Formats: sequence, C-alpha cells, structure tokens
Amino acid sequence: MNRTILLVDDDIFQLKLFEKLLSSNGYNCKIALSVAEAEEILHSEKPDLIISDYEMPDKNGFDFRRRLLERDMFKNIPFLFLTSVNDTASVQQGLDLKAIDYIAKNTPAKHVLSKIDNLLQAVREHYERSLGEIKGVAEKLNLRNIPRQAPVLKSFEISYFNQTFQNQPGGDFIDFIRVSDRYTFVVLGDVMGKKWGAWFFSFSFLSYIRSAIRLCVYDENYSLSEIMNKLNRVVYADELLSDIFSTLSLVLLDDQDGIVSYAGAGDLPLLKFDKEKESLQHYQSQGILLGFTDDGSYDEMTIQMEDGEELYLVSDGMMDFEAGGKTRSDIELLKEKLYTLKKNGESLESIKDKLFDKHVSQVDDCSIIIIKKL
Amino acid sequence: MNVKAQHIDDVLVLIIEDRDANLVKSGPFKELVFNEINEGARKIVISFEHVDYLDSSFLGSLVAILKNLLPLEGKLVLVKLNDDIQNLFEMTRLDKIFNLKNSLETALKEF
Repeated sequence: MNRTILLVDDDIFQLKLFEKLLSSNGYNCKIALSVAEAEEILHSEKPDLIISDYEMPDKNGFDFRRRLLERDMFKNIPFLFLTSVNDTASVQQGLDLKAIDYIAKNTPAKHVLSKIDNLLQAVREHYERSLGEIKGVAEKLNLRNIPRQAPVLKSFEISYFNQTFQNQPGGDFIDFIRVSDRYTFVVLGDVMGKKWGAWFFSFSFLSYIRSAIRLCVYDENYSLSEIMNKLNRVVYADELLSDIFSTLSLVLLDDQDGIVSYAGAGDLPLLKFDKEKESLQHYQSQGILLGFTDDGSYDEMTIQMEDGEELYLVSDGMMDFEAGGKTRSDIELLKEKLYTLKKNGESLESIKDKLFDKHVSQVDDCSIIIIKKL
Repeated sequence: MNVKAQHIDDVLVLIIEDRDANLVKSGPFKELVFNEINEGARKIVISFEHVDYLDSSFLGSLVAILKNLLPLEGKLVLVKLNDDIQNLFEMTRLDKIFNLKNSLETALKEF
C-alpha cells in the first residue's frame, strides 16, 4: 500500500520538485501552499507523514506544528521540518515541537529520500510491534470475535471466512452457538465503524446475543423474532451503546429436520443459489439495525433448502469495491460473481476463495458464511 | 472534512463536499452536527450530491445524529443520494428510519 505524504511549502517550485521526487519513489503526495490549505487537506485525509517548510506567510511551520499538537486527531502524525532556516535556535525549537527531524533544504535529494524511507519504515515497525502485542494479549484473554472453527453437523456443512481491514481487527463478528444436538444458531454481525473501536464493541453485542439466545432457549423459545426483539431492547437500554449500532443476521439450523430459519437486523439480504431455477434468490428481513429504537419490527422466515444448496450470509465489506481511485458499494456485482461461480459449478472452498480474490481492493472488513444443506 | 453549511430560514443545510464519506470523516462530521444541535439546530438537511461512497462508520454517525435529534422533536432529511447509496439504504432498511428525498426543494417542504 502506498504511503501518503503531505508537503507544505509556499514555494510552488520546491513543492513540485519534492512531489516529483517522492511520487517517482512510490509515495502518494498531497501538496499545500499554506497552513490553511494543509489543514483543509487534513480534514479529509490522514497522511502517513507531514513535511513542512518553516517560513510561510500568515502562519509559519512552527505555528502549524503547534496547532497540530493541540488536536488529538493530528498530533501523532509523524512530522518533519524541511527548511532553509537552519540556525541552531530554530532547529532546537523545531525539535522541541516533537518534530521527528529537521532537515536543511540543501540536503541532497537522495539523503532526504533515505531519511523519509527509514523514518516510515521505523514507524511501520513500531506500529506492527504494538499491534502484535495487543493481538497477543487479546489471544491470551481468549478475546475473539471470529471463532476458530465451525461446528460439524449432520444435515449442514458450514464454511466461513473473515478478512480484516488493513490487518487490524474490526467490527465484523461471527459466532456459532450450538445449544443442543438438534439446534445451532449461526450469527453474523457488523458493528458500524472500523478497526479497534468497532472490534471492542463487537464483544458487547456478542455477549448480549449469546445471553438472549440462551435465556430464550432455557424457556424452550426458539422464535428468532422474539430473540431479536429481546436482544434489541437490551442493546437499546444500554447507555454505553447509545451511539453504537450493529447489524445482525441470525440463522437457526434444525439439524434433525434440516430446517433453516432466519431473522435479520439491518443486515444485507441472505443469498441462495436455487438449483432448480438456476438463479440467485435473496431473502430480506424487515428488522432494522440493533439499538436504534426499542421496537425494531423483527420478523422471521423459513428458508427452504434442497440437498446440495448453499445459503450465503455476507457483511457489507463484501460488496464494497475500489477501482480506479473510486470506492463504491455494489451488491449486484457481488451477486453477479456468485452467480457465475455457481453456474460454473465451483466448489464451496473455491467460491469462498474467489469471492475474496476478485476484490480489486478491500476497503472494509469482509465476512462470509456459507451454509450447505447436505 | 469539507462541509458547506447554509441556513435557509430555520433549516440548516449541510452539503458534504467529499467524494468518500468514510471513517476519517465520520467523527468530525458527527461532532460538527452535534455542536449544531447543541446550539439549537432542529431542522437539518444533509446533501450527498458530491458523495460517491458512504462507509459503515459514516452511516453509524448518521444514525447517531438521527437518534439524538428525534427526542428533541428535530427532523433530519437526507438528499441526493446516488443509486448505490440509495440501494444500500433500501437493502438494510435504513430507508425506514431516514427521510430520503431527491432534491433540496422537496426536502425543505418536509419542515
């Protein structure tokens, strides 16, 4: 993935020169002729590094750095001064403002480039180390929102896959809750948001989902709409989750009679390839996302599945694509791919792999659960 | 985040000027609208005429804004969603909770 560098200098010639140098060495560059322009860019994109001149009209580089340090969103973006003002006092002042380096403009371009490469490499390694440590702790505490394996059933085969966004845990969560030899609940949820924030809250939703299912099952209640209503009411009442919302696809597999039931909350439609009609069917529930209102209008339905048919549960990341610098959500494209793969008689494993391989560029967590009727 | 704000009578119209409404922008946008609500804004229109793509983080911010506005007897109307985004709202039943309109003119008639 290309790193993005924001260059700030009131000298357009210098800007273009460095932009060319960095672009030809694999970096994406954003250029700003003033602090005001730079701040505007920062409000729409977070760069991996900021390189700023000192002497600029209106606000200078030190003013810019001070303003960034005051904002939590920007203060940790690595910052370099690249300037011709190189007296000892200025260099010290720049470094005191937590700039990683203070480089003279007459430094040979090759040296500047090496410094930038080394710096971004060090930042990357530090980030990977921190991420590894957090992942290690999460693993030790058995904190996982994606299970290690799917249960083995008599009437169904379950396959699933989850790909995190930028190698960070995210808001997609999967669970298989086998409450008896006969019944297994399949859960696919997506907490709105990305990365660690969404990951953290996914555990609150998972706990509530497990509790709601267990409590209803203790009362011999297997109604998905009732489970969903109880779950939604608890989520809605939780003040900690007042601004956090999640989608949910909840499927109940009756392994004895081979029956599949489904209820949804703001989720994408479930898809099934109908063997007889050779077409892709979709099943859309009426329920809205968890936590918005205390009455989510949850319904449930039975999905008829013939032997050999497959049912697909997908998270929204599966239909987000990036191509030619443009991102879009397109479920029809996903359905088209799935249809073609099924028509070509691809195996379940191959379908799972190819759906992920075909992504031009992933822009969110992607999850898919495939339930095959045996 | 680039947002153009204008007042038409007592309606606050916010035009998102970015093509991608994503994670980076969702926090500042929510903060901006919450500040407006704290200062008394109750009738809000958000225009997506420049937006190509809306991610789940930004969608979450919109839901949070609506959830905060409703108990204050406020009203939120979203306008000019492109086909992909409109389709996303319909597929996930968000069209049942949001008021979606094709133009600013029709949105203003809602107040």
